[in-house]
Amino acid sequence: MAELEAKSMTDTQLRNLRRQRTKEMRLQLTGFSFMIFLTFMAFGMVALDFNATFIMGIVMLFAFIQVVLQFYYFMHMKDKGHEFAKLFMVVGMFFAIAFCVTFIYIVWIGQPI
Amino acid sequence: MSQATAKKNGVWATIWEYMTTVDHKKIAILYLIAGGFFFVLGGIEAMLIRIQLAVPNNDFLSAGLFNEVITMHGTTMIFLAAMPLLFAFMNATVPLQIGARDVAFPFLNSLGVWLFIFGGIFLNLSWFLGGAPDAGWTSYASLSIASPGHGVDFYALGLQVSGAGTLISGINFVTTIITMRAPGMTYMRMPLMTWTTLVAGVLIVFAFPPLTVGLFLLIFDRMFGSNFFIVEAGGNTIIWEHLFWIFGHPEVYILILPAFGIFSEIFSTFARKRLFGYSAMVFATVLIGFFGFMVWAHHMFTVGLGPTANAIFALATMAIAVPTGIKIFNWIFTIWGGSIEFTTPMLYALAFIPSFVMGGVTGIMQAVAPADYQYHDSYFIVAHFHYVIVGGVVFALLAGLHYYWPLMFATMLSEKLGKITFWLFFIGFHMTFLIQHFLGLWGMPRRVFTYLDGQGYNAANMISSLGAGLMALGVIVLVINIIITVAKNQKVGRDPWGDGRTLEWSLPLPVPYYNFAQIPLVRGLDAFWIEKKEGNGEMLPAESLDDFHMPNNSIIPFVMSLGLFVASFGALYFASGKEWAIDAVADLPVRPWAFWVLVIGLAITFISMITRSFKDDLGYYVTKEEVLRDLEEQERGAK
Repeated sequence: MAELEAKSMTDTQLRNLRRQRTKEMRLQLTGFSFMIFLTFMAFGMVALDFNATFIMGIVMLFAFIQVVLQFYYFMHMKDKGHEFAKLFMVVGMFFAIAFCVTFIYIVWIGQPI
Repeated sequence: MSQATAKKNGVWATIWEYMTTVDHKKIAILYLIAGGFFFVLGGIEAMLIRIQLAVPNNDFLSAGLFNEVITMHGTTMIFLAAMPLLFAFMNATVPLQIGARDVAFPFLNSLGVWLFIFGGIFLNLSWFLGGAPDAGWTSYASLSIASPGHGVDFYALGLQVSGAGTLISGINFVTTIITMRAPGMTYMRMPLMTWTTLVAGVLIVFAFPPLTVGLFLLIFDRMFGSNFFIVEAGGNTIIWEHLFWIFGHPEVYILILPAFGIFSEIFSTFARKRLFGYSAMVFATVLIGFFGFMVWAHHMFTVGLGPTANAIFALATMAIAVPTGIKIFNWIFTIWGGSIEFTTPMLYALAFIPSFVMGGVTGIMQAVAPADYQYHDSYFIVAHFHYVIVGGVVFALLAGLHYYWPLMFATMLSEKLGKITFWLFFIGFHMTFLIQHFLGLWGMPRRVFTYLDGQGYNAANMISSLGAGLMALGVIVLVINIIITVAKNQKVGRDPWGDGRTLEWSLPLPVPYYNFAQIPLVRGLDAFWIEKKEGNGEMLPAESLDDFHMPNNSIIPFVMSLGLFVASFGALYFASGKEWAIDAVADLPVRPWAFWVLVIGLAITFISMITRSFKDDLGYYVTKEEVLRDLEEQERGAK
C-alpha cells in the first residue's frame, strides 16, 4: 500500500527527476509523431491506388512497427522492472500463435495433416 | 478495526466477519469449507456411480440420471473440490512463506472465493431445477447443444462464474509472489510450494481465457441464438474440443503442480533434509508448466487430425515425462539417508510416489497415438486419470490437510485416526482403480450406465465398487477426526511438527491477523531452518517495529458475486420457449421475467463495481503499541 505522506525531495533529486521526465516526454512525442506519420503513409498509399499486394505487405510492416513502438515506448516495456511483463507477453504470444495455427490448419482448412 | 469485530463473540458477528473478510487466512478457511463440502458431494456422486456399476444389468440409477451423475461428479471434483482446496492451502501458506502481511490484492482474493462459492452453488442447484448437466465434464458441443432442458446451461453459467473467480485468484497469486517477497527472499530461495503456486498461477492466467471464450460461445449458442457450434447453420463442434482442451490440459497441471509443492514441503520436513536438487525441481516445475500448453490435442487423437499433427502432439506429450521424472527422482533422493518420521502427511507423500508413477506411465502409453486408438474411451483412460488425480492431487490434499491444519486452526488432527484414514483410502484407491486398467483392456467402454452379464466384467466391477466403499470409509473417519479435533480444541504452539523449515512455521499459533510483527530477513533456502541451526531459532527482523498498513474488510465482493449469481438465472431462462431457441429448450414454457432478472443481476454487479471505484477505502494502520502488546503476550505464553 502506498505511503500516505511522501517525503520531500532535495533540489538535486528534483532537478534530476525533471530532466528525466523531459527526456521521457521528448521520446514519447517523437514516437507518437512517428506513429501518426506511419498511419498517414498507410492511408495515403490506399488513397493513391497503389498495387493491392504491395499495400498489404507495407501496411502489415507498418502495423508491426507500430505494435513494437506501442509496447516499448507507451507501455514502458523498455523500462527496468518490466521483465516479467515482457516474459508473459512473449510466452502468451507464442501460445496464441500456436493455437491460431492449429485452428487455421486443423479446424478451418479442415484437411488432416 | 478487525480487533473490534473479533471482540464481539456472537455467531452473527463471526458470520459477518467471514462474509466481509479480506484476510488470506480466513479466505483459506472459506475455501477449505466450501471445497470440502463439494468434495463430499462429488464423493457421494462417485459412490452412486460405483453402486450402479457394481453388478451387471443394474437399475439403481436410470441411464439419464447416470449421465447427470457422472457429469456432475467430474465437474464438481475438478472445478469445485480439487482446485478450491488447493487454493485453500495456497492462501494459507504462500503469503506466510514469502514473508508478506497479505496477498497483493486482498479485495480480489475475497472476490475470487465468493465467485467460486456462488458459481458452485448455481451449478448444483441444477439438481433441483429440472435436471443436472448430462454431457460429461468435457461437455463436447455436439452433445451439449443437443442436451434437452437447462442442465448444460447450468454447467456453462456456473463454470463461467466460478472460472472468473479462479482467474482472479490466479492473477492475485502471481502478483503476490512477484512483488511481495520479504527482503532476502530471492526467487531461488522460495519454498517449492510458493514456486509451484507461481507456475500454477501463470498457467491459470493463460489457460482460463480459452475456457471463458469456449463457455461464452456455448452460452451464446444455447441461450442467445448464435451458431458457433450448430453444424446445420455452418458451425463447427471441433472448435469446442480444441478450446476445451487448450484449457483442460493445463488445468491438469494447475492441479498437480501445487500438489507437487505440498509433497516437496512434506518430504523435506519429515526426512529432515534439504530438498534434493532444489534448482532442478524449480526448473522442472517451470518446464512442466510450459510443455503443458503444447499437448492439448493428445486428448483428441481419434478426432482425425491426421498423422503429422498426432505425431507432433504425441512427441510433445512424451517430453513432459522428462521433467516429471526429474521430480520423482529428486523426491526419492530427498528421502534417501534422511531421518524419516512416519507422520500421516509423510505416509501420503510416500504412497504418492508409486501411485503417481503408475498414473504417469499409463499416460505415456496413451501418448503413443496409434495405441491410443485402442485405449480411447475405455476404462483404461478412467483408471489412468484417477491414478493421476487421486494418487497425485487428492493424496496431496489429504496430506496437506493434516500438515497445514495446525497452521490454519492452531490444533492438531489426531495422528491415529489420520493413519486409519490413510490406510483405508490407500487400499481402497488401488482396489478401485487398478482393476479398471484391465477392465479397459478387456473392452469395457467408459461412460456406460450398465453392462451385460457374461462379458467377464462382473468380478472386476464388484472389486472396484468395494474399493470405492473403503475410500468412502476413509473419508468418514477423516470427518470424525475433524469433528473430534474441533470439539477438543487443544491448542498447539509454534512449529507444532517440530521440524518446520520454511517461514510459515516461524510464526506464533494462531497466526496474528497481521502475520508478521516485523517483516523477517531471509538468509537462504529453508529460512526458518537456517535460523534454528545457525541462529537463535528466531527470524531476524528486516525492519524496525513500527505502525503498518492493513486493508479494511468489505462486503462488496460478496454483493458483486451475488449479482452475477442472480444474472445467471436470467440468462439461463432467457431462451426458454423462444422461437429462435435451439431445439433443446424450444418447447419449455416461456419466462418473460428472465430478461429483467438478467438486467437486475448485472445492475447489482456493476453498481457494486462503481461503488468500489468511487469510494476511497484506504485501509487502516496497526499501531506499534498493539503489536508490542501482542508480542509481550506471546512472550508470557511461551514462559
